[in-house]
Amino acid sequence: MDREPFLARVEGYHKGGWRLALINAASVLTADEAEQGAVDVTWAFARDAEFEHIRERIMPGDEVPSISPSFSAAFLYENEMRELFGLNVTGINVDLQGQLYKTSQKVPFSPSAIRARLEANAAAGIASATMPVAGAPAHGAAKPAAIAPAAAPAPAASKPGAAE
Amino acid sequence: MKKTIIPFGPQHPVLPEPLVLDLILDDEKVIDAVPTIGYIHRGLEMMVERVEYTEMGFVVERICGICSFMHGMGYAVSLESIMNVEVPERAKWLRLIWAEISRVQSHLLWLGLGADAFGFENLFMHCWRMREEVLDIFEKTTGGRIIHSVNRIGGVKRDVSDSELAAILARLQELAKAFEETARIFASDPSIAHRLGGVGVLSAADALETAAVGPMARASGIRTDTRLYGANLYDQIEFEPVVETAGDCLARAVVRMREIPQSIDIVRQAIEKMPKGEGLPLENKPRGNPVGETFTRLEQPRGEVLYYVKANGTKYLERFRARTPTFANIPAMIKLVKGCDLADVPNIILTIDPCISCTER
Repeated sequence: MDREPFLARVEGYHKGGWRLALINAASVLTADEAEQGAVDVTWAFARDAEFEHIRERIMPGDEVPSISPSFSAAFLYENEMRELFGLNVTGINVDLQGQLYKTSQKVPFSPSAIRARLEANAAAGIASATMPVAGAPAHGAAKPAAIAPAAAPAPAASKPGAAE
Repeated sequence: MKKTIIPFGPQHPVLPEPLVLDLILDDEKVIDAVPTIGYIHRGLEMMVERVEYTEMGFVVERICGICSFMHGMGYAVSLESIMNVEVPERAKWLRLIWAEISRVQSHLLWLGLGADAFGFENLFMHCWRMREEVLDIFEKTTGGRIIHSVNRIGGVKRDVSDSELAAILARLQELAKAFEETARIFASDPSIAHRLGGVGVLSAADALETAAVGPMARASGIRTDTRLYGANLYDQIEFEPVVETAGDCLARAVVRMREIPQSIDIVRQAIEKMPKGEGLPLENKPRGNPVGETFTRLEQPRGEVLYYVKANGTKYLERFRARTPTFANIPAMIKLVKGCDLADVPNIILTIDPCISCTER
């Protein structure tokens, strides 16, 4: 990811009065060799009914700059991403040094951990999700995924005072 | 003076659930607090790997025993959004009614816990006695007092007859009247004012900076409420978010206290506006498997909850994430704890209405 443009964009949200609503990580499950180990990270911001996000695909070894200089509340999400997904988040204002969660399995949501679990389930005959197979249609290929903010449509124009 | 570190939790008289704060003290002042959670991390989000999306809603409900209805609703709304399922109108209204009743029981629960924490046992018992009546309504209408399992992707499982709804409203309005006396005590008792007033003041600027949500933000003068944005039929409801400006522990208690009759009034409006009759459709079942991503925002009793769902066309979701209001309010809580007296820490922690089960999932 391009660090400086990303941080500048985040700071733009900060200056614009947006609230940090969520930082979410999701491991990319794919058969594509070039994408192995990737994690999609989404920074979501809310300002009243408005809801926007930034999405970056983080490859193994990539550094994820902390946005805590702009949004101090980011530290909880960033410590969580580091502990549960194994992401290399740098510069967190409150670095909990791996002490946030007490999970028996380290980095349980990393792509490799998910792959290992799913393959173990398949070997043991346990019904579970499966990893996409090379050559087969990718999961969800029939319809490109698009983020649609659900349950937060624009305020009804007919209702005075519905939004700030 | 030498700095002292005192662990607050995981077991503490004011904590119904385990949370650890390492409090770093300078004499009796807290100068820093380091949170540790994970004592009840159950890996519910990981269960999407083994639980089909049609069943996952029942797991999501079990994130928390207080917000269970709204967790189930948020999951259903997310999948309905991805799968373009139109929910029958009566089912939407029933969801709204149950959501507001959830808010009533949650706030009564918290007011009781708050009273217990600052040593007002009698008030605690009054609040919890009233909450039992609300749980009775849940039991009668959904079959469950805590876990309701009434949400389906595409609607709700059970109807509530019009006559039963009228009886529920009458019962809630009686409860609102009985609650007036409790509210009067909360607002006027000098011992409560002494214990909570001016303690743990969160300014509006700090509430914004720490991304606080729900009553935590509203008690600091911020008019924020996800219900204002109109989804899930709230555009048809007349209400004004309860906002207080003091930002202290007392203001946070007062916001929740004032929201109880407001939610009962919202239930009244919903019963008046919903389509009447027996045998109306309650569910449109989805077809096939979901593909896509969505964010869903709801206003839970503790504030805005956010769900992220990613589906890949199989019967198992690829990712489910719940960002609960307590998770969002922890930075504000830590900010408040820094600089306060050690003796005020329990009340400050309690007045964010922490739900650790929600936070850890």
